[in-house]
Amino acid sequence: MIHFERFKLDNGLTVIFHKEASTPMAVVNLLYDVGARDEKEEKTGFAHLFEHLMFGGSVNIPDFDGPLQAAGGESNAFTSNDITNYYDVLPAHNLDTALWLESDRMLSLAFTDKSLEVQRNVVIEEFKQRYLNQPYGDVWLELRPLAYTKHPYKWATIGKEIKHIEDAKMSDVKAFFKKHYHPSNCILCVIGNFELDYVKERIDHFFGTIPKAKKSARILPLEPMRDRFKSKTIVRNVPADAFYYAFKMPERKHPGYYFADLLSDIMGREKVSKMYVELIKKQKLVSEINAYITGSIDEGLFIITGKLNEGKSFVELDKEIWKIITHYTETLISKKELEQIKIKLRTARAFQDQGLLNRAMNLSFFELLGDANGINEEQEIYQTINAEDLRTFAKQLFLKKNGVLLKVKKKKNA
Amino acid sequence: MLNRQVAPKLTPIKSIDFSVPEMFEIHAGIPLYWKNNIANETAKIELHFNAGTTVETPILASLTAGLLITGTKAKSAIQIQHALDAVGAYYDVSVSQEQAIVTLYALNGYLKQAFDIFQEAFTAAIFPEKEVQEICNERQEKLKVQLQKVNVLAQRKIQQVLFEETPYAQFISQGDYANVKRADLIEFHHKHYLNGLSKVFLVGDFSEEVMLDIKTACADFTGKAFKPVNSSFSGKAHIDHQEKSDALQTAIRIGKIMFNKTHPDFITFSVLNTILGDYFGSRLMSNIREDKGYTYGIGSYMMENTHFGYFMIATEVAKEVREATIQEVKHEIEKLQTDLVPVEELELVKSYLLGQLLKAADGPYAMLDLFSGVELHGMDISFYNKYIQKVQEITAEEIREMARKHLDWKSLSIISVG
Repeated sequence: MIHFERFKLDNGLTVIFHKEASTPMAVVNLLYDVGARDEKEEKTGFAHLFEHLMFGGSVNIPDFDGPLQAAGGESNAFTSNDITNYYDVLPAHNLDTALWLESDRMLSLAFTDKSLEVQRNVVIEEFKQRYLNQPYGDVWLELRPLAYTKHPYKWATIGKEIKHIEDAKMSDVKAFFKKHYHPSNCILCVIGNFELDYVKERIDHFFGTIPKAKKSARILPLEPMRDRFKSKTIVRNVPADAFYYAFKMPERKHPGYYFADLLSDIMGREKVSKMYVELIKKQKLVSEINAYITGSIDEGLFIITGKLNEGKSFVELDKEIWKIITHYTETLISKKELEQIKIKLRTARAFQDQGLLNRAMNLSFFELLGDANGINEEQEIYQTINAEDLRTFAKQLFLKKNGVLLKVKKKKNA
Repeated sequence: MLNRQVAPKLTPIKSIDFSVPEMFEIHAGIPLYWKNNIANETAKIELHFNAGTTVETPILASLTAGLLITGTKAKSAIQIQHALDAVGAYYDVSVSQEQAIVTLYALNGYLKQAFDIFQEAFTAAIFPEKEVQEICNERQEKLKVQLQKVNVLAQRKIQQVLFEETPYAQFISQGDYANVKRADLIEFHHKHYLNGLSKVFLVGDFSEEVMLDIKTACADFTGKAFKPVNSSFSGKAHIDHQEKSDALQTAIRIGKIMFNKTHPDFITFSVLNTILGDYFGSRLMSNIREDKGYTYGIGSYMMENTHFGYFMIATEVAKEVREATIQEVKHEIEKLQTDLVPVEELELVKSYLLGQLLKAADGPYAMLDLFSGVELHGMDISFYNKYIQKVQEITAEEIREMARKHLDWKSLSIISVG
């Protein structure tokens, strides 16, 4: 059980405080309710580029990282299709430094041309390093627009193309800040060995005077129901043919999300899952196979992916994948297997909760979903799922028209 | 009224509480360390074996490690995995140059059961032919992917250059998989695992009886304390560029053989290393990423083995700025050799390092890793108190002296691929 306190400042900032007496460190986590799904289709990659600019100095403080490092701390951030999350970890006695820095960059950025120019280049190199200069690196740039036609999940966080980043202008940057970076669009979580009154007073001191702004409504196009199975083949300089089946699955707050998560654990289990045993051990069709979910807030994807062995065809594979899928839509998972998955989940969760930063990010994320206490309720939800639930769910999930398939074909003489 | 331009006052770190695990002897020279009084249900066991890549060949070390619990006369790989799953345990093996480490993670109430399942499978392992073929196929495919990456190619190349003809320079190549014999794996297992345990780390709240049972069981497969293969390196610098026409970026590695914690210069050099490239505000990051935008990231680091260490600068940059990047690295190193580090920067790095040490000592798992880092070199936890004191006292002159002594540009090997 993770205990926490919640309070709200007059300007709309939501604060979650979790006391942890055993640590000399403090974690300050700020989740901004903005991600790549909030971008315009002709200006993608912006939420992520902006995350970089947040380290380029704020209105009163020329350098973000320096003062934090001088306080013995460090900081980083990540952007997803849903959120932008910043965190600082530092010795607890220097908590003020993190609050000072974070409140100033929430108030306003420095917006220098130099910072924009450099970070554009840095992000372009990141684009190359992570998405273009790796075998299979561009798979998600291809899979997203295949799986989504209307919803902004159809582009990746890094952006649709390098050109969008090259074209980013200062006026875009300022408008983006104004719309998304203000108290009521943020959840601040603090962990450390503090008293609640102290935390309240310090947060009010630094964040209380930031002007209130209106949280803008998020109206995103719903991804329409599909009417047929779609597939696409791309040819790349890769060592083996690879496949990505993607089925549309329910949004984060739907009970089906939990069914999908558990089902992907069962299907993707290494060494013992039916998929592993059939395709790797018995038929020697693939060299690796996995199943997982994207975990997004809006309707996500249930992925089955792997690599074909030399000389095996996508046609053979397709037949076998559907046999396995049919197994899960027809047959009940044994009680024994379900118990195994559930206890593994408990172990994984206990280890995750060990980390302060993990706790801070999770509390913030659950608060965004509606209630930070979700962190304490989630295990209970998993533990009550039964085999019947999973079979019923699998039947809806694995409707053929609900899926897409991306095939990455190895270039000849590569 | 809040003046936002004034930074809050900082409180420096004066001292840190380090705790050591309890030590028990399995056999003479083979310790078991136990950290208990954990505030949650998590537990783990770490078994260190003298079964790294340098003890024979990387292919044998890697495959044996991957096949440790894949079948006995009585049980198949699937049955063993099911048994571990039934107690909610996670199993992991990692192989480095000098060691192989088996780790089991479980809730404390299940750790003993997980260990028993592992021990039974591990001691009676028969390395079924089918499993050998399967892992060879899987690993070979993964290696193909790895060998297309410029960072992997550059890293391999520089290690080969630095470690010359010694076992430390060995890597797995595609052809190795065709020559694997089951009998060799069995022999490797017998020599380096069944008679190769060098130490055990335990974390978790469970009874002393459980700990003693584990200790007794481990006594059956202990070996000797680790002794590295003899390795001496000429330290000769090499410069090489390998063109990869389809690459979009060039990976650069600049490095040399260096020392480990046992060397009197270690602490001072690690402060120098931090200033140069080991934190976000480092000279290399500030110049090459934050000023020039040549790269997504650049860093320097120190790696430690039992008898030596090495120093490395690593980055991936836009193809057209390879030479410019190398020149900037040279420039930054030379600046550290000629100019004194400004007081403000030095103070910042000192505070940063002590803050990071405080974090590295936070929680039982982190503390045990910290302990393991000194235990490896036969040192004790007081090293970190010396570290705190030395970091606090260090002067800009000492840093400059260190850069002159150990970072002569001509002594560094420079490898690029892309």
